[in-house]
This record gives sequence, C-alpha cells and structure tokens, in this order.
Amino acid sequence: MSDMQLVVFELDGNEYAIDALSVNGILRAKKFEIKTIPGLPDYITGAIQLRGNVNYIFNLKKKLNIKNQDIVLESKFIMINIEDQVVGWIVDEVTDIIKFSTENIEMPPGFVKNERISYLKGIGKIDDRIIVLLNPENILNVEGLMDIDEVAAVLEDTKEALN
Amino acid sequence: MEGSIEFSDLKLTDVLDVEVLQKFQDSFAKGMGLASVTVDKDGIPVTKPSCYTKFCMDYTHSTECGDKRCAESHRRGGEEAARLGKPVVYECHAGLIDFAAPIIIEGHLMGTILGGQVLLNKPIEERYQNIAKEIGVDSVGYVEAVKHVNILDKERVEEAANVLYLVTNNMSNAAYQKMKLNTVAVSLSDSLHQISATMQELAASATTVSGNQDSLNTEIKNVDSMTEQINEVMELIKEIADETRLLGLNAAIEAARAGEAGAGFGVVAQEIRNLSTDSKETVSKIKEFTTKIRKSVDTTVSMGNETLSTVQQQAAAIEEVTSSVEEITAVAEELQALASAK
Repeated sequence: MSDMQLVVFELDGNEYAIDALSVNGILRAKKFEIKTIPGLPDYITGAIQLRGNVNYIFNLKKKLNIKNQDIVLESKFIMINIEDQVVGWIVDEVTDIIKFSTENIEMPPGFVKNERISYLKGIGKIDDRIIVLLNPENILNVEGLMDIDEVAAVLEDTKEALN
Repeated sequence: MEGSIEFSDLKLTDVLDVEVLQKFQDSFAKGMGLASVTVDKDGIPVTKPSCYTKFCMDYTHSTECGDKRCAESHRRGGEEAARLGKPVVYECHAGLIDFAAPIIIEGHLMGTILGGQVLLNKPIEERYQNIAKEIGVDSVGYVEAVKHVNILDKERVEEAANVLYLVTNNMSNAAYQKMKLNTVAVSLSDSLHQISATMQELAASATTVSGNQDSLNTEIKNVDSMTEQINEVMELIKEIADETRLLGLNAAIEAARAGEAGAGFGVVAQEIRNLSTDSKETVSKIKEFTTKIRKSVDTTVSMGNETLSTVQQQAAAIEEVTSSVEEITAVAEELQALASAK
C-alpha cells in the first residue's frame, strides 16, 4: 500500500486516470496544429511540434474503441513519457490531479490474464466516483485491445461473482 | 355664444344703407305724391325729409306749439305701428293723413318710416283756420297751403305705407342676417386659426419626441455594443482562466514528480486551480448579467421602434388634419369675404 498521484481525465463522459509520474505535461489542443502523417495506424492522428521536438498524437478514443470519437473544443493533450519518448493523448478534458491510495484500486479480475486487457491497471474508487486506471505503455503497445465496454461487462460479472 | 349680436347696440344705420334708402325714399315719395322720412327707434331722423309739403314745413312746424304737436302725433303713430307690428294710417293733429311703418328685426323695433302729408278729401277751410289759430300761424296762408296738399285715395296711402314697410323690412332683415353670418364666419375663422396653431404645436412636439426616440435608440445601441465589448473581454478573461488552470495542472504534475519536495508546491498548484475555477464562475455570472442586459436592450429597442412608428403615424395624422384645417380655413375666409361685402 502506498500513495500515488493520478491525473484524471474524461473521455466521452467517463473518467480515466494515469499515474502522474508518467505525465510530462498537459497542453491545450486548440493551441496546436496536428500534422497528419500518411501510412500510420488510424489511432495516430498525427504529430505536433513542441519546443523543437516532434511528438506523436494518439486518438485514445479510437484506440479504446469508444463509440463517440468527436474532438471537443476544450480537448487537451496529455503528454506522456513512454520509452524515452514523449507522446500525446487526446482527451476531452483533464478534470483533476488527486492523491490516491493504492488500496483503493480494484485489480482486474485475475482469471482474465489476457494480453488484450493488460492496458487496464484496475478500477479506482474515490467516494462515489469510479475511475478507470490505465497502463500507458500497454495501451500503445498492444494491438487489438479488448473493447472497453467489453471490459466493463467482465468487471460487472466479476463483482457479482465476488459478492 | 361668441359672435351673437346685441340688439341694444344695433343701430338702424347698421342694417340700412342710408344713401340707398334716401334715394329710394325720395323717388318713392315723388312718384306717389306724398312725403316721407325715416327715424330710428328714438325718433331721430336718419334720412332727410322727402317731398315735405309747404303746409307742414312752412306753417305747422314753424311754431313751437305746432312742432310739438307734430312730434306728439308722430310718436303716437309710431307707437301704434310698433305695437301692431304693421303699418298704420292715421290723421295727424293738423288734419292731414299720415302713415307709420315699423322696421322690425326679430321682434325688435329698429326704427319707423313716417310719411303721408296728404288729404283724402277736399279740405274744409274752417277746420284749418281753427288749427292755424291753435298753433299760432297765419290762417290765410295756412288755408292757402292746405289747398296745395295732394288728395289721394285711402287705399293708395295704405299701399304706399305697405310698400315702404315691406322694402325697408326686407332690406334691414337681409342686412341683419348678413351681419350675423359675418360674425359666425369671423368666429369660425378664429377657431380655425386656434386649431391651426395647436396643430403646429402638436407637430412640433411629435418632431421632438421622434428626435428624442432616435437619440434614445442610438444610446441604447451604444449600451448594446458596450455589452458586446464586455463579452469580448470576458472571453479573454475566460481564456486566461483556462490557461491559469492548465498552469495549475502542470504545476501539480511537476510537484507530483518532485515527490516529497514538491508537496508545498502542490498546494500552490491547487490554489492556482481554485483561482481559475473562481475566475471562470465569475465570468459566467457576468455573462449572465450581460445576457440579461442585451435582452433588456432588445426589448427597449423594439419598444422604442414601436414608439417611433406611433409618433410617425401621429405626425402623418397631424399633417392630414392640418391640411384639412387649411382647406376649411380657406372656405371660412371666402365665407367671411362674402358676408362682409356690401
């Protein structure tokens, strides 16, 4: 059990979070122009220039198969450190940065030892809020992630089974 | 009522053209062979006597006694005529036949036409000798004079009196009606001028209201554009608040990465985010107000426009009335000109 800090963000009305330590910074999407690059997978929207560096921008909604993939006006880029690189995720809004105790994480069901679900670190409970904790590296590395709705259904089943 | 005529102020000469009357009276007297004079309601002659006989002029009127008896005789004849409201024929104190015809306007006696100085039969000399003695004139000359007095039928005298009565009454009544018409026309003209003046005032105030409403609309539009500018400023403040929030979030991330050393900085970062939230809330409150202001402005503008169009309609109506009044004024002036023409 230890404390960690989470960067909480919103995608299509649901809250997700990643460890603040892996976050490099937050940018306002409307301040940047995304250059599209042909030949890349469709979940990579393109690249931006930031302080002399080129950073790839990922459409997280596409990667997680979230149905409503509209880019909203107040969209943010969460810049994340992955393997000596900084990449951006498009999120609807960064809602909070919170202190969080790891004991409040409900781990993914043990029997679903599937690579397709390895992007999921667990479900965080803060009062009434349910926050999906993500594992940044696995999200981008694994192809054919388990559909987030599918995950939710599995979690629900698991909960019922445990109770 | 304004423009009515007071009979106490009305004189016979107001309703009868003396010059015309004199000519008519002279010709008539000469043609009929009898004397005539017109007196006002106080018995004072307004015409010169026409065809007075020597008998009357040189004898009967020559003594004080005779003159007084003549005056008394005329007075009685006049009174009788006025009482009956029609001409009367009677014998005077000196034994001649006279008549008196009243001139009456709407029941008011304006004057009398007196006349006659004729006989119905040949005179009886003794009678005139006696009268000469009574009034103190030479009886020989008096009798001689009475022989020169015209002898007429009674019917002729009556008809002569009737003609004078009809003509003078018609003349004076027509003149009186014309006077009445004139006073009505004058009062109509006066009223119309007052209406014209009032209409001009109304038109002027309509112009003022319209001008004021225009300036009001301009001022209100200024308020609207200022509100718009406030909204632009609010956008800027909101933008700053958004940037501040981002700054707070990034500061918090930096603090998190700094671990224990960043704890204090993390509190500051949280404060920055709170500040941004407060700013945003303030912005949205101000925006609520400016929205209300713009709504009020819209309502005011549309009300103002309504007022403006009403005022314009009024101005048009005033113009119409004014032109109608001008037409009527022209007619009234024509009427007045007709009524005051001789």
